[in-house]
Amino acid sequence: MRSVTDLAGDLRATVGIGGATGPAGEEALSAQGRLAALVVAAVLAAFAPIAQAFEPFWLNLLTRMLVFALLALSLDFVFGYAGLLSFGHAAMFGAGGYAAAILVREVTSNALVVLPLAALSGVVVAGFIGWFSVRAKGIYFAMLTLAFAQMFYVIVFTDLPARLLGAEAITGGDDGLFGIPLYEAVGIDFTSRLLYFYLALVLVMLSFALLVRVANSPFGRTLQGIRENEERMRFLGYNVRRYKLVAFSISGGFAGLAGGLYVPFQSVAQPGLLHWTISGELVVMLLLGGMGTLWGPMLGGAFVIYLEERLAEFATWEIILGSVFVIVVIFAPQGLAGTIVSIRNDPRNALHNANRALRNYIEKVRG
Amino acid sequence: MSRRDVDKVATRNRGSAAESSGISRRRYLQSGALLGTTAGLAGCLGGSEDTLTVGFVLPFTGVYSLLGESIVNGFELYVDEQGGEIAGQEIETVSRDTEADTNTGVSATRELLVESGADALVGPVSSAVATAMMQTVENESSAIWLNANAGDYRLVEEGCLSYHFRTSFNDWQTSAPLAPWVYENVADNVVITYADYAFGDNSRQFFSEAFEQAGGTVVNEIPIPLGTDDFSPYMGDIEGSGADAVYSFFAGSDAVNYVTQFHEFGLDQNMTQTGSGFLLSEDTLPAQGQAALGKFSLLHYTSTDQSERNQGFAQSYADAHDTRPNVYACQGYDSAQAFELAVEEADTDPDAMAEALRGAEIDSPRGSFRFHEETNDPVQNMYVREVVEGSDGPENEVVDTVENIELPTWGCSVN
Amino acid sequence: MIESLLRATLLGLQLGVTLALVATGLTLIFGMMDVINFAHGALYMFGAYFGLLVADALGSFWLALVIAPLIVGAIGAAIEIFSLRPLYGRNPLYHILLTFGLAIMVQGIVVQVWGARSRRIPAPELLAGSVSVGPVTYPVYWLFVLVLSTVLIAAVWVAIERSDLGILMRASAHDTEMVDALGIDVKTVFTGVFVFGSVLAAVAGVLLGASRSVHPGMGFGVIIEAFVIVVIGGLGSFKGAIYAALLIGLVIAYGALIAPALTDLFIFALMATVLVIKPSGLFGTTEAA
Repeated sequence: MRSVTDLAGDLRATVGIGGATGPAGEEALSAQGRLAALVVAAVLAAFAPIAQAFEPFWLNLLTRMLVFALLALSLDFVFGYAGLLSFGHAAMFGAGGYAAAILVREVTSNALVVLPLAALSGVVVAGFIGWFSVRAKGIYFAMLTLAFAQMFYVIVFTDLPARLLGAEAITGGDDGLFGIPLYEAVGIDFTSRLLYFYLALVLVMLSFALLVRVANSPFGRTLQGIRENEERMRFLGYNVRRYKLVAFSISGGFAGLAGGLYVPFQSVAQPGLLHWTISGELVVMLLLGGMGTLWGPMLGGAFVIYLEERLAEFATWEIILGSVFVIVVIFAPQGLAGTIVSIRNDPRNALHNANRALRNYIEKVRG
Repeated sequence: MSRRDVDKVATRNRGSAAESSGISRRRYLQSGALLGTTAGLAGCLGGSEDTLTVGFVLPFTGVYSLLGESIVNGFELYVDEQGGEIAGQEIETVSRDTEADTNTGVSATRELLVESGADALVGPVSSAVATAMMQTVENESSAIWLNANAGDYRLVEEGCLSYHFRTSFNDWQTSAPLAPWVYENVADNVVITYADYAFGDNSRQFFSEAFEQAGGTVVNEIPIPLGTDDFSPYMGDIEGSGADAVYSFFAGSDAVNYVTQFHEFGLDQNMTQTGSGFLLSEDTLPAQGQAALGKFSLLHYTSTDQSERNQGFAQSYADAHDTRPNVYACQGYDSAQAFELAVEEADTDPDAMAEALRGAEIDSPRGSFRFHEETNDPVQNMYVREVVEGSDGPENEVVDTVENIELPTWGCSVN
Repeated sequence: MIESLLRATLLGLQLGVTLALVATGLTLIFGMMDVINFAHGALYMFGAYFGLLVADALGSFWLALVIAPLIVGAIGAAIEIFSLRPLYGRNPLYHILLTFGLAIMVQGIVVQVWGARSRRIPAPELLAGSVSVGPVTYPVYWLFVLVLSTVLIAAVWVAIERSDLGILMRASAHDTEMVDALGIDVKTVFTGVFVFGSVLAAVAGVLLGASRSVHPGMGFGVIIEAFVIVVIGGLGSFKGAIYAALLIGLVIAYGALIAPALTDLFIFALMATVLVIKPSGLFGTTEAA
């Protein structure tokens, strides 16, 4: 039986990302990729004032897309690089969100204080979940993270802390905490749609740069080594569990940051943030985007949010969204990233490749 | 810090956030107008002068989609009756699916207000979505909000928005007024069962207070998780309480499961089931069937009501949709009436529309009601109904009317 | 108190065996094909809705109980052949995306076709009313569900443990290449198992559709419970799924007596505890990592 963690390696091989340097020595992002990322960021930054003037709603949509891109990025770091499939990332997302909600309501709306603490609460929750979970492997790790995340969900939904402490409300139960105002920092008031978008853009790009760096660092390479061959790394004297735990906590920090960005923007923190369907959707974003590439899942996250938003006017949007997932997995299993890379490498043969995929499909169905 | 204190902080914060963003909103409008005149892009910036835009922020998928559809049907029925126009202006409707999910609801609200430039919002269904929407509606301050179903009293207590008008009900209305009636007509002791979430807990609290005030005894209160499929573990507690009557708050599939299982376990034999109207409504009765017979509930609309106004409404609704209108359709219909009234008086200026609606009277199929001068909640008759065998299956029959009850204001005064 | 306990026990067992019907397919499908089938809940839901359709059209619960699972079995066959089959040999993770998409689709289809209203399959007249079991009254229909599900599960157990077919199934799960080499078409076995799982889930859907409401959220509602069961029992283990289903059924029923709001917490805590102590589940082999 194949381990689920082989997948990232598979993808890289098929997509050709990382090239010939071998699985443990590959760069997380080529120089070309870095340039592309900068261009995307610059285009988004330049586009924002135009959107503000003509279609201000675009800024809202883009901000939400950025938040989920960050969340998908955080998951890809721990899955794509350390081979840990987390099915409980909603817990860290929610932890960051609720931390931000409580801090903004009770203490300060200063982003420089609240956002780091939101990230920190993601780290703490991830540390807790990870401590129990990293001993399990593959699908069992996924199921453990799911179990813990769902426990957090129930705790938040029933406002167990308040029940235990006799307080009236801490998480606010099923209604959650609402009326959360937007941030301010160093004299900038982020209540403007445009400025909040820039805040999100800057944080997402910084997170991306940081995670690419970590992935390329000796620490990141060790993680990749663990993903490829855990036994070998253990024999080489690495404390595999500790590496996994640290990687999971780092990832949780970024998920917490995403929650901290999301909640004041939405003005509400509610238990749905922690529900397993968010974790499930995240995995879908990862696969759809092309996991193990860091940038692919960001695209996937943005794409799913975009689809959900734009399809919402159709009564049949669930059917359409579901069909997109099914078609992508059958015909473009390397996700958006894989498709983009293969078109870039060989633009003329794109049609031919599509044709081949279809023929391949028919053959397989026939058995 | 108590719940109340936390809420106060929230209200204060909300106030300040609204002030600052109010300024930026105005600035945005100025720049928009400027661009419009200089570049002649007015057409791109939103609908033309003579078109009204209504945004439906409702669930169209998931468990509540029936409610969303009914509200839209009711709204559109009224517009059709006016020849497709409201106050002589064309009307454009835009729908956004909230999926009854808080975050989707907030995004949908923002999209309707900012992108579609809605003059009025109609919805939502879920109170959790409504509480989450408050901030956005207040920040944008660009439309009136015709709340066609979300009944949580805290929208008044904590939001107290001048743009917020309930064309529906609040949760006090569907629980408290039933208490004295039960005390006088059914039993002097009850056990309360309720769905364990904010709305259910509000209903429990209001009923319980009112019942004890009336002189009755609440023997036991049993919270049951939202979305419970099997109520049998709780049947022992209900039966064992020894009470003569039960008051319940459940809705949707919970209501179906609870009522049928209450019957199957034979509890009907010794206890009288009462509840808020959602326990036994048009959308649950077909599934509840015989199990619903003889049970009492309280609601502001009953499709079998014999008034001329309602019969006309029910007839044209049935002609259009081949089914009897439910309470949600009535709430949608009245939202359209309220919108027309507002536009007639004040065109589309949100503050003037709100001013026009405050205290205004709506000639509803449920019986005429008015928006409360301080809370914008509907001051209306509530009807006690009993489920009886009708021509096509069990249906509600009005057995008593609780007239124009004085509403609590929870410290809210929108003026 | 004794009364409540007895009633909870009956409910727990009944829930357990019906959940076992759902979990059986899930665990067999995982065990044999490595497929994490998120659409399994959707098949259960389809069972209930087609049951509704048949019961409405033909006026008979019994026909619904037979015909609806056959329809769902056919749908299961289509799903397996047209969407899962092209993915075999690829990483199991792809199945998450695929079946997640299918589950969303089915939910959309159900809302489009049947609407979102809560419904119920009318239970047969024959089984109306309630009887006394010791000191408690219990609906006859619920007892019928308990008995019929138990019989079905026992039959499946015998089939899997004793018959040639069962041996073949287990062999295919263990070593597809060897079975292939014996000249047996593994693809057909896979389709057969998927259909079998779909039918069992649909039977559970029809059975429960007459004792609780049928609504479009029921698919996603049951799938997590079924996963918990499969994981606790050990992925791919049939026996494990049965024991775990009974365990979870009882936890749900007793949990409602102790702390209703926290029942889900107990379930997930149980799952986490089992996994921390024995990562491969109660009856699983570590191989299934």
